[in-house]
Formats: sequence, C-alpha cells, structure tokens
Amino acid sequence: MKPSPPHRALKFLRWFCREDFLEEVEGDLVEVFEKQYKEAPRRAKRKLTWSVIRYFRPEFIKTFNGQNSTTMLQHNFKLAYRNFFKYKSQFFINLTGLSTGLACVLFIFLWVSDEQKMDKYHDHDQRLYKIMSNHTDASGVRTLQGVPGLLLEEIEAQVPEVDHAVAMTDTHEYTLSVADSYHKVDGKFASPGIFDVFTYPLIKGNKNTALRDKSNIVITEDLAIRLFKTTDVIGKDIKWHFWGREKIVTISGVMKSLPQNTSKPFDFILSWDYYHDDLISYKNWGNYYGRIMVVLNSSANEQMATDKIDAILKENQEDSRVDLFLAKYSDLYLYSNYENGRQAGGRIEYVNLFSIVALFILFIASINFINLSTAKASHRTKEIGVKKSLGASRKSLIIQYFTESILLSTIALIIAFCLVYLLLPQFNFLSQKELSLVLNQQLIGVAVGLIAIVGILAGSYPALFLSGFNPIDILKGKIVRKPGEIRGRNTLVISQFTLSIILIVAVVVVYQQMDFVKNKNLGFDKENLIYFEREGRLVNDSETLVNELKNTPGVSNVALSSFMVGGGNSTGGVSWEGKSPDDQMQFWEVRSGQGTVDIMGMGLIAGRDFSEEFGADSASVIFNEQAIKAMGLTDPIGKTIRHYTGEKQIIGVVKDFNLLSLHSKVEPMIMLYDPKKTHFIMVKIDPENVVASIGNIEVLYNKFNPGYVFKPQFIDQDYQALYTSEERVGVLSRYFSGLAILISCLGLFGLAAFTTERRMKEIGIRKVLGAGSFKIVYLLSNDFTKMVLISIIIALPISYFAVQNWLEGFAFRIDLQWWFFAGAGLLAMLIAWLTVSLHTIKAAAVNPVECLKDE
Amino acid sequence: MKVPSLGEFEELVLLMVAAQHDEAYGVSILESLEKQLNKKVNVSAIHVALKRMVEKGFVTSRFGGITADRGGRRKKFYVITAFGKQALDQQYSIRTDLYQQIPKISFN
Repeated sequence: MKPSPPHRALKFLRWFCREDFLEEVEGDLVEVFEKQYKEAPRRAKRKLTWSVIRYFRPEFIKTFNGQNSTTMLQHNFKLAYRNFFKYKSQFFINLTGLSTGLACVLFIFLWVSDEQKMDKYHDHDQRLYKIMSNHTDASGVRTLQGVPGLLLEEIEAQVPEVDHAVAMTDTHEYTLSVADSYHKVDGKFASPGIFDVFTYPLIKGNKNTALRDKSNIVITEDLAIRLFKTTDVIGKDIKWHFWGREKIVTISGVMKSLPQNTSKPFDFILSWDYYHDDLISYKNWGNYYGRIMVVLNSSANEQMATDKIDAILKENQEDSRVDLFLAKYSDLYLYSNYENGRQAGGRIEYVNLFSIVALFILFIASINFINLSTAKASHRTKEIGVKKSLGASRKSLIIQYFTESILLSTIALIIAFCLVYLLLPQFNFLSQKELSLVLNQQLIGVAVGLIAIVGILAGSYPALFLSGFNPIDILKGKIVRKPGEIRGRNTLVISQFTLSIILIVAVVVVYQQMDFVKNKNLGFDKENLIYFEREGRLVNDSETLVNELKNTPGVSNVALSSFMVGGGNSTGGVSWEGKSPDDQMQFWEVRSGQGTVDIMGMGLIAGRDFSEEFGADSASVIFNEQAIKAMGLTDPIGKTIRHYTGEKQIIGVVKDFNLLSLHSKVEPMIMLYDPKKTHFIMVKIDPENVVASIGNIEVLYNKFNPGYVFKPQFIDQDYQALYTSEERVGVLSRYFSGLAILISCLGLFGLAAFTTERRMKEIGIRKVLGAGSFKIVYLLSNDFTKMVLISIIIALPISYFAVQNWLEGFAFRIDLQWWFFAGAGLLAMLIAWLTVSLHTIKAAAVNPVECLKDE
Repeated sequence: MKVPSLGEFEELVLLMVAAQHDEAYGVSILESLEKQLNKKVNVSAIHVALKRMVEKGFVTSRFGGITADRGGRRKKFYVITAFGKQALDQQYSIRTDLYQQIPKISFN
C-alpha cells in the first residue's frame, strides 16, 4: 500500500498555492515524502507539513481577490450581451414586457404610497384622533364625524389624557373680497388649538393669539399672494361673505401653504368663537355640528380617554343614544366608511385593489421572462455541454445565468424608470394626483427588490436545472426532456391568461356599472339643470332676478331651492300621527321655493307642487314615496305632521329619486316651502345653446350682483363627482388591464415563435406528405387553444365572485350578464389566436424544402 | 545587458540544473545538493530559488509526462538557458580571477 501524505496539509497547500506551481510543488513534496516515509513515517509526515508551511509565502500564494472574479464577471457580461444579440426577438419581447410591467408596478407603487402618506405629516400624527359619534336608532347604527361643539371646553377642562384639542368645521367654499375683487375660496372655522393639534406652521403671526379674536383670519401663503401679491399682509382686512352675512376680518397670521398630501385642503381659517357664538342657532348638546380633534398624552390610554369623553356627553344629554369614540385622524382618509358602527373599509379597498393588480402584472411579466428563458434554454444545452467539458464548474454556470437574467431585469427596470418619468404627467392627470419620481430609500429598496425577484425567478430554471446536466449526455444529444418542464410552462401560461381574463371581466363590469350609474334615471331630470349660490343682494332680493331670468332667452324655468346632491341637511325632527317614541327616523331636508318639483322634473304621485296659485304655502310640505312608506301613512294628502318649525300640511308626494350616490338606497325626504332660506337659484336651460344661455345668465347676474363671482354648477356634474374615485379607478384599471393583457400576449407570441420554430421539420414533413395549410395552423394552435380554454374555465368563477363582491357596494347595480363572461373568454381566445396566428400562418406557408434541406 | 545578481544558493541550484542537463527537477536537485553539501535542504528552498531564476531568465521549464509515481502529478524539468550559462560563466570567471590573485600564504 502506498503511504498517504497528510491530507490536511495538502488541502491547505491546494487552497493557497498558485495553480501554475501547484502540480510541481505537490508532486515534489509527495515524492520526497514517499522516500522519507520508508525510513521514518512519522518524521516524513511532520516534514511534509513543515514544508507546506514554508511554501506559505508571497511567491506561492495565489491572488484571491479581485482580478479573477472581475474577469469572470466581464466574461459573463459579454456572454449575456452576445446572447441578447443572438436572440434579438426574444430579447425585445422580454424587455418590452418586463419594462412595461415594471413601469406599471412603479406607477402603482407611487400611487399607493402617496395614498398611504395622506394626512400623515402632522407631528403628533401617532396620537392625533378625531372624535366620532355613533347614533343608534331603530334601523341600526349610523356613524357621523360630528360632535356637539360644546364638547371642546369640557374636554379641555376634564380630560387630563388630552394634551391639545381643537374644534372646527368642515372645509366649505366661501366668498372673500378685498376692495372690489371677489374670490371663492375654501376655508373653515377653527379654535386656536388648531396650531397645537395640527402641524400648520405660521410664517407670520403668533400661533397662540392668531385665532383668539372673533375678527381674526389666518390665511395661507398662496392665498396671500393671490389676494395681495405679497405675504406681508398682517393687519390687512378682508371681507368674508356667506349667505347674506358679511364680516370684516383682520389677518392675524399667514401659514405655510398646505402640503400636497392634505386630504381636504383649505386656504383660510376663521375664528371658531365667531362661528359658535354668533353664526349658528343650533348651539346645544343635541346637535352634532362640530369636528373635534384631540392629541392624547404619549402615556394616555386611548380607551380611558374615550370613556371620559363619552361620559361628558352622557352627562350633558340624558337618554342619549349617541356614543362617542376616537378614530385615528390620519386613518380616516383610507378607512372612512362605517357600517353599523364598525369600520368597513373605504379608499383602502382601492389601495388594496391596485396593490393586487400590481402583483398580477409583475407576475404576468415575470412569467413571460421565465417562459421564454426556459424555452430558449433548451437551445443552450449544447453550450452548457461544451462549457462543462472544457472545465466550467456548475457554480460558474449558475452565476453566468443569473448574471444574464439580472442584467436583463436591470435594463428593464432602467427603461421602466424612464417610462415612468416620461408618462408621469399623464398618470397624474388620470389619477388627479401630483406624484413625482423622487429617488428615496423606499423607492430604491423597491427597485432592488424588483430586480432581485424578477431576475432570480426568471434565471432560476436555466441556472439551477440546466447547469446540472451531465455534459456527455448533452453532447450525445441524449438529454431526456422532463415532461414537467413543458407542463410547468403551460401552467404558467394558463395562470397568466387566467389573470388576464379576470381583469377583462372586471373592466367590463366596472365599465357597465359606471355607465349604468351615469345614465340611470334618478327619478328626476338632471340634464341642463344649473344652480348658483344666492349671495350679496340675491339673499334678500332674489325675486327680481328670478323674474328677469324667466324672460331671458335660453332659460326655460327658474326656481329657488336648496337641493344639494349628496344630501345636504338631515333632520330627525319630524313627527306624525302614530310615530312611536323610539323612532328617530332621519329625513333629508330640502328647502324650496315655488316650482321646484316642476323644474327638477320629479314625478308627482299625488297632490301638487308648491305654487302661488294656492296662496301662502308656508305651512306646506312635500314628501317622497319612501318617506310616506316609512311613516306608514295612507292617503297622505291633506294630513298634518309636526316639523320642528311648526305644524305642516302634506300637499304632495313625489316619486322616489336618488339624492345620494347609488351606493345607497333612496331615503326619506321632506321638502319644505321656505323660499327665503333656499341657498340656490336653480335654472333649467335650453339644451340647444348651453354656452350662450349661461352667458346671458351671467350678464344678468353681474348686473344684479356686481363684484361677486358667478359660479354656475351643473347638477349632473355634481352627480358624477359622487363617483370620481370609482371613475378614476375605472380608468386606471382599464389601462392597467390593457397592459396586462398586452404583456401576456407578448409572452404568448414569444412562446409561439419558439414552438413553431422547434416543429419546423415536422411541418416540413407533414407538408411533403400532403398536409394543407389549414391543417398546419390547426395543429399549431391546438395546444394554445387548450391552454386558453383551461384558463377561461378557471378564471370565470373567480371573476364572478370578485365582481359580485364589488357590486354589492352599490344599492343600485347592474345584473351580471352571461355575456360579460363569455365575452371576456372569447376576447381572450381571439387575442390568443391572433397572436399565435402570426407565427402559425407563416409556418404553414413555408416551403418544405426550406426547412428540410439541412441535414 | 545587465546580468541580474545570482545568490549563493541560487548559484548552487543553477549549477545543479546545468549539471543534470534536461533531467533536473525539484527532488533530483534536492537530493544531489544534499549529497554534495552534506546537509539537509528543504524542498521549498529549491522551489523558491528555481522560481526566482525563471523570472530572471536563467532557466526555463517544461512539464514531463504523467507517470504513476507522485500520485500522477507531473514533474517539472528545468533547463539552463544561454543567459543562465552566461551568468554562471561570469560568476565562475570572477571567482577564479579573484582566486588566482591570492598570494601564496603559508599557514603554519
């Protein structure tokens, strides 16, 4: 038996020694060892180990770092580059698919992160809560954002958990005037605490005193520049107008314009005390007119604070059926809906929806990449065989394939970034946002993550599977292709198409529903109906204008009304014969002048409209059908009810119409005759010449109300505004789904190219033996047809449940038609055939000689 | 052309390479040297000397064939180059020259 030299010493030598010296050194060492071993085995071993250590010196140590691996990397890059060029079409398909896919994902990421950032910029964000109220009545629990304004002082005095608190109103549009120039501006009333609770830095003025006085106003920088062309405006006067009231207020502070991510931006703040003491008539514990925000102590217990605040209300209003609770202020933007007192989503649903779409698209784009690289990888088995027999290690092959796929995904990502940069203005237009592409840590993280995910996913098959082949088998052509590979590819194509079909169905349904919403007969005629606010002189003297308007060309009808899309005011202060004392039924309240029913084209079921023919109508009301039904009245005309303003007689019943969005059912409504308190003048104009008619009205308006801004609004546009988020989401999802389908088709296109190319010889032989073109096309399309059919079968039930779920959010919705699904399936099939046919027809037309002459 | 310096041990190894023309490799050089010098030499010293002389251009090397010995590892044979020979000659002539300058000294 040959003596064996110390294994560990040699291993060490092999590890550090330069490769060009290793063989000689090792050989000589072993030879010496063998000779010495005969004499003294143990000394020989020691000697060899010692010698090895003596070799551990610079001349013999190989270079471990740098050079070698960079060379390999360069080599890999070069190979990747050559491969891209060799398979140009595949490269471009991959690149287009992947970069559009990634661009979509980036857009969605920007959108989603912007949504999540909304209202989060306040310093106390983590401890900033809004007090909400749950109102319980027979029909369930209604959640409102309002609380009695009187609560503020009590909270400040009695709840130690609260650091800061502010009472305010919602943002509303008011008219401001400086000298003779009038402007419509969004603003609100707020108590001085607003600057402690929220982070609205003042650039001029003192935040502690800025809203102390009833005649103070704080305006934003933007507004200061708009009104005065300078921000140096402290002490200047502005006149505030609303509904016949005017007040001269003095600027006591200028605050920074609000950041983009403010959900309800405003441009000025007036004193809460003015609003609370002087403006409103309903200042008591039974009215929920205030919005109160609190900042809790960092150590406070949220539940305890809630209990204390709720106790204050209970103390001041006995038998209250209202419970107060705290909701995180910045969460209200995304989680604004409450059902029966429980949080029930809100915009977050769209955020989630888009995140899912982004995942879908990323998945579809990656599948293309994976499928095409696996398909082409079989072309490259020879390459692998040659490389391996030349000594390439498996590791270096793995690295090479990963380099290639990561390189491609990096290029795609760079293109995606360019696309996003170029298309951002259009995207902002569609989404009504002002997003910008700023390279921050988060975005870079996402980018690196995307490259890693896509690159590793797509590179893993050739890198990990193909590199393991035995080179001899490859070169002999003995590679047995596992059926699993093709099946895997088919599965991926099927899932791709499944997702695409789901998206098509979703788009169709959303489109149909939105179309339904827009064109649904609301129960009144909303077309060509405009309204504008009664301001200035019009508050007390609108009769003259109304009469003049009636004689203006292009105007077909005029009426006074405070009809507001989305509801306006509601009241529980209606009682009737047989009303149970527990019943707190809410009625939407519409104050009207003469002819409101007529101008709005509501259908009268019984009785009549408000009209001067019947003398004073001041004690008359009109209900809608739903109200009559809810009150349980039969034969209502002529009956008397009690409204909080006095006894009223029912003079008419109108057909139900939708005052709210179609998400909700028709609710009870009461129309009061109170022309003095109607906020708007409503005008029905001729449809032929809308612009000219509005022009005529404006001329008249300016004559009556010089200085004031004439701002007519269309009722039908107001209705559309109720669905803006749905509308936007609809448009965006249409684009994204279109792209998803396009990307899937690109993948199919590439795959079809691959299969037809592989079967060229077969096609040649079949043609020689007499197969017709049609037969060949059929043959080649067959597999794809099967795949698409399977995806249709999988996709339809899933999409059915998904859209059904979405539609349930609407009280008025379309019925799902069978053809939505059949159409989507058929469309997917047609698109697939069309894509594949580009190749199959070419293949069928080929001259068999061409493909058979080799070999 | 300036001849690079030749160390003492290097000179010995080079002489051995020249002496065992075309048959010199690590172990053979080692053994002859040990026999001639009558002391133990480590094989790594030989290799270091050989590598340096390859760099200096005094010797060239080639691999031998594969044999069953040495675990199938090939020998690396070294041959002296003309340049190496020139360096040896130069060294030799300097030494003899100097040697001949020694006066006859008697050591009693």
